Amino acid sequence: MSALTRPWNNLTLVGKVILPLLFLVLVVGPIVTVLAAVYVAPLVVDILASNLGIVRFVVAITAILLFSIPAAFIIIYMELKVIAYMNTRVGPNRVGPGGSLHSVVAGLKVLLKEDFTPTSADAIVFTWAPVFVFLTAVMTFLVLPFGPGLYAQDLNIGLLYLFAVGGMTVVGLLIAGWSSFNKYSLLGGLRSAAQVVSYEIPLTLSVVGLILLAGTMSLNQIAENQSGGFWNWYVFRQPLGALIFFIAATAEANRTPFDLTEADSEIVAGFATEYSGMRFGFLFFAEYVNVFIISGLLTTLFFGAWNAPVPFPHIELSLDPGSLGIMLLILLAVVPLILTLLFALPFWLTQSRMPGWQALILGFLAFNVVAVGAVLGLAYVGFDWFAGLVWFMIKSFLFVFLFVWMRGTLPRVRIDHLMGFAWKWLLPASLLNLFITAIAIVVLKSTVIP
Amino acid sequence: MVTETPIGKIRSDDDPRVLLDEQIGSFEPVPPYPPRTERESEFYTLGDGEMFLNMGPQHPSTHGVLRVVLKISGENVVDLDPVLGYLHRGVEKLCENSDYHHIISQVDPLEYVSSLFCEWSPVMAFEKLLDVEVPRRAEYIRVLTGELLRVASHALFQGWMALDLGGLTPILYSFIERDEIVEMLASITGQRMLFNYFRIGGVNGDVNHEFMSRLGDWMSRAAKQHETSIGLLNENEIFVRRMRDIGRLDRDLALRMAVTGPNLRAAGVPYDLRRAHPYSVYPELEFDIPVRGTGPEGGDALDRYLLRLEEVKQSLRIIDQCLHNMPDGPVMAKLPRLLRPRPGRAWAAIEGPRGLYGTYAISDGTDQPFRMKIHDPSFVHLQLVVQLMRGNLIADTMAVMASLDPIMGGVDK
Amino acid sequence: MDRPLRRRLETRFANELTGPVRQRHDATEIRIGPAALTSVMATLHDEPDLDFALLADLAGVDTGDHMQVVYHLWSAKTPDWLRVIAEPLPRDDPRIPTLTGLWPGAEWMEREAYDMFGIVFEGNRDLRRIYMPPDYTSFPLRKDFFLPDDAARSPGGGVRHVERPEAPPAVAAGSLRRTPGA
Repeated sequence: MSALTRPWNNLTLVGKVILPLLFLVLVVGPIVTVLAAVYVAPLVVDILASNLGIVRFVVAITAILLFSIPAAFIIIYMELKVIAYMNTRVGPNRVGPGGSLHSVVAGLKVLLKEDFTPTSADAIVFTWAPVFVFLTAVMTFLVLPFGPGLYAQDLNIGLLYLFAVGGMTVVGLLIAGWSSFNKYSLLGGLRSAAQVVSYEIPLTLSVVGLILLAGTMSLNQIAENQSGGFWNWYVFRQPLGALIFFIAATAEANRTPFDLTEADSEIVAGFATEYSGMRFGFLFFAEYVNVFIISGLLTTLFFGAWNAPVPFPHIELSLDPGSLGIMLLILLAVVPLILTLLFALPFWLTQSRMPGWQALILGFLAFNVVAVGAVLGLAYVGFDWFAGLVWFMIKSFLFVFLFVWMRGTLPRVRIDHLMGFAWKWLLPASLLNLFITAIAIVVLKSTVIP
Repeated sequence: MVTETPIGKIRSDDDPRVLLDEQIGSFEPVPPYPPRTERESEFYTLGDGEMFLNMGPQHPSTHGVLRVVLKISGENVVDLDPVLGYLHRGVEKLCENSDYHHIISQVDPLEYVSSLFCEWSPVMAFEKLLDVEVPRRAEYIRVLTGELLRVASHALFQGWMALDLGGLTPILYSFIERDEIVEMLASITGQRMLFNYFRIGGVNGDVNHEFMSRLGDWMSRAAKQHETSIGLLNENEIFVRRMRDIGRLDRDLALRMAVTGPNLRAAGVPYDLRRAHPYSVYPELEFDIPVRGTGPEGGDALDRYLLRLEEVKQSLRIIDQCLHNMPDGPVMAKLPRLLRPRPGRAWAAIEGPRGLYGTYAISDGTDQPFRMKIHDPSFVHLQLVVQLMRGNLIADTMAVMASLDPIMGGVDK
Repeated sequence: MDRPLRRRLETRFANELTGPVRQRHDATEIRIGPAALTSVMATLHDEPDLDFALLADLAGVDTGDHMQVVYHLWSAKTPDWLRVIAEPLPRDDPRIPTLTGLWPGAEWMEREAYDMFGIVFEGNRDLRRIYMPPDYTSFPLRKDFFLPDDAARSPGGGVRHVERPEAPPAVAAGSLRRTPGA
């Protein structure tokens, strides 16, 4: 504030510019704000209200972009830790409790590293390839329903959109491999092209039977079709389709045992060989986002989406906090105190060495755990979308665990086995699945529903 | 005076002393000189649709610092040219300049995963030069520690094999098994890796209580542990299908390529030095020589893999017999501090986990050998890669190389 | 020591042997001239009562005044190792026929001997240096190649011992060690 007490002539040039601006902001700012609140805000609200679809879309996209990074972080941590235990190792244990912040630090490290472009690489393509790969991975989230009403866009061609966008990943990988000016990258890119294109066909065909059954391509509709209980899940009507989808999706996401594109013992790191810094980070994140997406897709298409295995009786919460009046205030003030003391009591009584204040802290922590649990439980019971989200996440992460488990146990297949498997086994099997489904539908429709 | 242009740079036309900043557009792994041999000119000539792929010396699966130039056509390997020397230490020259006791520590790091076998053959050669009789207890200890290390080496082989095929887990179980053995050996030798334990005329120190208790502990569950590690991989369909029918080696080619050890036995030749040229106390011990690939087609990578697992069982049998039959007595022959063998020549060869480890030593009457030639099986087996790999896939290169089990320390000497 | 083998070798190679057949411990040793190498080895490999199927080792030796190439062979017919010493090869231009026709596996062993001693194996398709860099000019295992810390035999200061040209200016006869054996 020394500028205010100084004579105008003693001010520096910067001060002479800033000071009038400061006065202007202080005086004009409130006036403009008030005017905006009175005259412009209703207009904006009207526009937003009339274009609720766009608002919903923008909000959803932001949420998805924000969600994709922590999801990748969690899966990376999970992979490190689970494989470590399978390998009789400890895994990351330095950053955070049990090493849980390891992937965050790894992400920071990736940000701080030198972003290196090799000589003779095609710099523009080289830069944009990871963005492309990451974008196609994140775009797939758009149609994935996380819970009842928790989706960005309910496309009526949702499945088609998924395969279209998912298939675009290969373009990103191919240009990443091509532009790196490295033969390992080139081999990795070509391998990914061959692999993804081959497995795209059984992947798509395996779902056609399901589409025939469901009569829709909207993922939201498919999810709703499976409500009621686990016997309604499509995995029991399309077991072969589910199996083919699982295998082909593993290959699509370049996961072990189909991770030929980045086979470290053969072609170093495949298309990612020359990448460093955040560009590598994008490729890396995209891989794990893809893992989540194929897990989520498996859940949505075949394993009942957000539906609980056994339907939970819906309870309408009739508790209206407003009716309590002043009692609510007293409850909020008194109940935490009493509960904290109550939870502290057993610690204080049984642990003679523990000072009272430590017992109080423990009691407070225990109360918090119980309170959070109670709130979450209430949310589960009271809100459909919350229960749906919980079940969706549980199922999805079970599949993520399955993919990590496969990575920990299986060696890599060879390229000719890989292609042979796709064309000789998966493709005929998916066609067989389609025909059986079609015939079954025709027969059942003509007999059961004449 | 301008002599040579560094690879990848261009000299200015105006002033040949100036190196221009611009790069030559090619980074092909082709030597910057005209080919000197028939084979080199044949290899470095590209056919239609072929390209070179430089693998190594820094590559995740070349078992050390090996550089292999692959000539590939798509995913198929047309030809390959291993380039050695990145780990060359000139051990033979060092041995010619060190006295006989010192040599044992010089040859130790040759094969860092089974270094006792590298000590064994020079020590045996020097004993032949000196006409020393080794005490029987020392021989039993040599066989015991040697077979332990063979188990450790084969365990590590199994892990590497899986790692080169993309399986992450088995290598760590292999290292558990190996770690128990090296810790055991460390209790008598003081070292975990380069033991420096055998001496001319015996071994450096008797087995102690800690070793025996660890060994007994380990022996009680070694067979079960071995079954576990077999169960990790052997029935894995992907693993078996990748190993089957690659790198076929038949009896005739194996003998002509001077292959020895498990690789030769997996090609159908029941040749094991422990029986063919019995040394130490092996004639007194009971064990079988597993042989695979006796058919006309010979053995493939899977045969070589399975044969090593069978050898582990035989080694466990030998260890068991050593523990029961070990006589009492001294572990060192009486020898002067300064060894001056009479002029002469000696050749000693032993059966190691990779094959024949030989030493040809010439003495001129001084305290240093006049010439010492070390024969390492990895060196011979590595040149087999060229024969076995032609026409296979890039992914098979790793599988075949791993199934031959070369150690670059021994290859480069 | 396998006496019958000694007799067989003496009768079979009466013309080719340049010295007596020696036996010590479990090795039988014959000496031949470099010109006779191919025929002797082919006989050893092919004849059913000799049947030396496996080439166990190939070593070059610099004795100080000439070069040798030493082969160790294995046969199922005898408990002995057979050591074949091909000598003498002149130090300034050592040449010997290759064995890659019989044992293709000898190719790298011969490359190693060439790299370390400069012995030229005529007929080897790939006689390049195997350990040393391609532009290297010395042959490290020759007896006139001294290690820098080999003070007793160093011919004087100011010379980078390890990368000297292969023919040193003047090596006193006494500084090379005595030829072993006979």
